[in-house]
Amino acid sequence: MFSLIKKVPNIDFISKRNYAFILSAILAAIGIFAFVMISVGKGNMGIDFAGGVLVQGHFSQSVDINQVRDAVTGEFPEAQVNQVTDFSGGNAFMVKTKRPETEQEGAEKIKRIGEIIRTKFAGNTFTVDRESIIGPAVGEQLRKDARLAILLSIAGIMVYIWFRFDFRSGVAATVAMVHDVLAVLGIFFLLGLEFDLLVLSALLTLAGYSLTDKVVVYDRIRENLRKFRTRAEFVPCINRSINETLSRTINTSTTVIVVVVMVFIGGETLRNFALALVLGVAIGTYSSIFVASPIIAEWEARSPKRFK
Amino acid sequence: MSSQKWRVALTALLVVAAFWAFWNTFELWTMSDSEKQTMQEKDPGKLLTMQQKAIRLGLDLQGGIHVVLRVKLEDLDAASKEGAVDRAIQVVRNRIDALGVAEPVIQKEGDDRIIVDLPGYTDAARAEELIGQTAVLEFKLLESIENANLLLSKIDTVISAIEKENSSPTAATTTPTTPTGDNQVMADLMGDTTKKDTSASAYEFDETTDYSTDPLTSRLELTLVSSRTSTAWPGYTVNKKDQILIDRWLKDPRVKALVPPDVEFAWSTRSMIREAREVYELFLLKRKVQFPGNKIEGISLGRENMGGLAVNFKLSGDAAARFAQLTGANIDKPLAIVMDDRVESAAFINSKIRNSGQITMGTGASFDDARNLEIVLKAGSLPAPVEIIAKNVVGATLGSDTISKGFWAALVGLLLVLAYIAFYYKVSGLIADIGLIFNLFFLLAVMAALGATLTMPGIAGIILTIGMSVDSNILIFERIREELLAGKTVRAAIDAGYDRAWVAILDSHVTTLITAGALFILGSGSIKGFAVSLFWGVLISLFTAYVITKLIFDFRKQYKTLSI
Repeated sequence: MFSLIKKVPNIDFISKRNYAFILSAILAAIGIFAFVMISVGKGNMGIDFAGGVLVQGHFSQSVDINQVRDAVTGEFPEAQVNQVTDFSGGNAFMVKTKRPETEQEGAEKIKRIGEIIRTKFAGNTFTVDRESIIGPAVGEQLRKDARLAILLSIAGIMVYIWFRFDFRSGVAATVAMVHDVLAVLGIFFLLGLEFDLLVLSALLTLAGYSLTDKVVVYDRIRENLRKFRTRAEFVPCINRSINETLSRTINTSTTVIVVVVMVFIGGETLRNFALALVLGVAIGTYSSIFVASPIIAEWEARSPKRFK
Repeated sequence: MSSQKWRVALTALLVVAAFWAFWNTFELWTMSDSEKQTMQEKDPGKLLTMQQKAIRLGLDLQGGIHVVLRVKLEDLDAASKEGAVDRAIQVVRNRIDALGVAEPVIQKEGDDRIIVDLPGYTDAARAEELIGQTAVLEFKLLESIENANLLLSKIDTVISAIEKENSSPTAATTTPTTPTGDNQVMADLMGDTTKKDTSASAYEFDETTDYSTDPLTSRLELTLVSSRTSTAWPGYTVNKKDQILIDRWLKDPRVKALVPPDVEFAWSTRSMIREAREVYELFLLKRKVQFPGNKIEGISLGRENMGGLAVNFKLSGDAAARFAQLTGANIDKPLAIVMDDRVESAAFINSKIRNSGQITMGTGASFDDARNLEIVLKAGSLPAPVEIIAKNVVGATLGSDTISKGFWAALVGLLLVLAYIAFYYKVSGLIADIGLIFNLFFLLAVMAALGATLTMPGIAGIILTIGMSVDSNILIFERIREELLAGKTVRAAIDAGYDRAWVAILDSHVTTLITAGALFILGSGSIKGFAVSLFWGVLISLFTAYVITKLIFDFRKQYKTLSI
C-alpha cells in the first residue's frame, strides 16, 4: 500500500484554531473590502460588467507591443493594450477600453482603433480575430444576475447542509465557504486582476467545491460522534475526523489542482478563471481543516448543545 | 447475484445509448476539412443533418457572431408594446434563416432582449444590417403555373450544363435517356400516379433517380393547390436537405439571367413537415408589391364559420378601397404574404375584401401555425424597432486555435490525473481510471443528445468534472484502506468502503449540483455551457463511481489481496 500519509496521523488542528482565525479574518477583511470596492464600481471590472469594447488581432510580422500601446493610447488614453498568446506566435494583442457606450459609439471606436493600427504599421498586415462591444445596459443586467446567482447558490447549499446535518454545521460550512470566496476575491483585488463573468462563475464553482470538501469532514464527524459520548471528547473527535479524512482532502485537492492548472494552457480567456479555481481549491482545503470544523468546536465550547 | 445482472444490463444499455447519441459527433469530428468541403458540395443536406445531431461548438470555439438586441419598447405606444418582443423575434428568425447559418440560436432574455448566436458565421456587417432592419411585410401575387413550369424547365437545362461543366469532362459525353424537364413537370402536373407513389423515395439520394438531366425539377414536388374553381397554382415542396443546393443554383448569375424581371423566386419562411418529410416551399412570385403590410390593423386570432382557426384583420380608409380592388380582381387566386422576401403563407382570395378580412388556416393547421401568422402580420403592421446593445465577433482562426488549445489542455490534464490515480491506488486506481473514461464518454454523449453547445468554459467544466469524479473514487478507496487497516477481509472492505463513502459522495455531489443549477438559471451564453457540462458531469460521476467501478470490483467474488 502506497500512501502519502502512512497511517492515520494525530495532529491537533483545533488547538491551532486561533492562528487560523486571525489569518482567515485578514483574508476575509480584504475580501469584504474588495467586494465593497467592486460593488461601488471601483474594482477592476471586466467589460462584461463595466461595458466597453475589445479588439483582439494579430500582425503577420513581429511587432513591439509598446508601439501598439503608444499608438492606441495616443487617441484613447483609457485603453489597455496587452499582448496575448495565440496561433500567430506572439504577434497578437488585445485592446480593451472600459467605458459604457452605445453599440454605435463602440463600433466607431473599434473602427478607429483598427485605422490607427493599420496606419501606424502599414506594411505589416493586421487581422482582427475578435471584437466585442458591450453596451452599458448589458453590464447592469449582468451585475443583477450575478448577485442573484451568488445568493441563490449560497442559500441553496446552506439549506441543504442544514437539512443533511444540523443548523450549526450549515452555518459553519457556509461561513467557511463565504470565507473562501472572499479570500479569492481579495487576492484578485490585491493583484489588480480583472473581475469578469468567468471569474464570477469560477467563484461560484469553488463555492460548490469548498462545500464538498467541508461536507466530507462533517460526514466523518457525524459518524465518529456516535462513538464519543462525553463533552470532553468532542474536540478530540473533531480532530480525529479531520485527521482521518486528511489523506482524501489532500489527494482530491491535488488532482483538482492538477486538472485546473491545465486550464491555464487553454489560453488567454481562461487564465483568470483558472487562477481563481486554483486559489479557491487551495484556500478551500485550508479552510476545511482550519476553519469549518474549528467553528463547530468553538460554538460547542461557548454554547453546549450536543453534550450539556 | 441478480443485482449484478441488473447493473451489467443497465451499464450495457447506457453504453449502447451513448454510442448511438455520440455517433454523429464522432463522425463529424473525425472528418477532415477537405472531406467536409466535398460533402458541402455534393450533399449539403446530409452535412446539415449531421451537424444538427452532433455536439455543437460554441462561438468561442468555431468563430461566429453573438449579438444582443434590445427591443425599444419606450418608442412604442401601449397597443404596440404587447407582444413586441415576440414579433421582433419572428422577424429576426426569418432573416437569420436567409443567412443560411447552420444552427442559429435566437432566444428571448429578460423583458426586452433578444440574443442571437450565429456560430460559424463571421460576416458581421451583413448580419448586423439584416438583423437591425425593421420588418417589411408585403402582399404579392403568384405567377401562373404555365409560366412557372416553362421557366423551371429552362432553368433545368442551364443547371444541367453548369453541373456537367463542374463534374468530370467524361460525364458530359453520356447521352441523357430519361424524360426531359418538361415531361417530368407535366407528368407531375397531370397527376401521374406511378410517379407519385414513388415520390417519397425518389427524393432520397439513390441510384434510381438521375439528377443530371433535370437537376432542379427532379428535386421539386409540385403541390397542386386548388381553389373552388380548381385552378392550379404552383407551390413546390423541396426536401430540406436539397434547399441549400437549390438556393445556390437560383442565385447563380446564369440562372438569374433567365428569370424575367417581373417575377422572383421566394422560399417559405420556415421548413414544415409534409408526409413525414421536412420540406421547404418554393414559390414563383410576381415582383410587384400589391399591398403593403403596414396598412393592416386589428389583427387577432379567431375562428372561421366551420370552426377552424383563422386570423382576422381590419382595413380602413384608402387602404380598404385599395384592398377591395386588389381582391376583387383576383378572386380564386392566391395572395402571398411575404415577410422580408420570404413567403409566410399563400392564402386564396375567396371574395372581395373591403373593411375586414379573415385568413382561414384550413384543416390540419395547428394553433401554433395560426399564432405564427398572427405574429408575422403584426410584425409587419406594428414593427418593433430594435437596437444592438452588445456584440461579440470571434474569427474562425481564433476559434479553432482556442479549440485545439482546449483539447490539448483537457487531454493532458486527463492523462496526468489518470497516471496519478493509477500510481497512487495501483490496480484499484486503474479501475477508477476506467470509470473516469466512462464518465467522459457518457458526458459527451449526453451533450450530443441534448444538442448542447460546447464552449471553452464548457471544456473547463469537463476538466473540473474529471477532478470531481476522481474525488468519489478517492473517498471510496480511502475508506477501503481504512477498513483493511481495521482488519476486515478484502471483500468486506470493498463493500463497506462503497457503502460508507456513499453518503459523503452524495452530499458532495448535491452541493455541486446546486451551484451548477444556479449558474444555469442565471447565467447566459458561455456560463450556461459551463453549468451544463458541470451539471451532467457530476450527475454521471455519481453513476460511474458507484455503479461501474463497483461492478468491476464485483466481477471477482473472492479476493485474497487487493492492490490499492
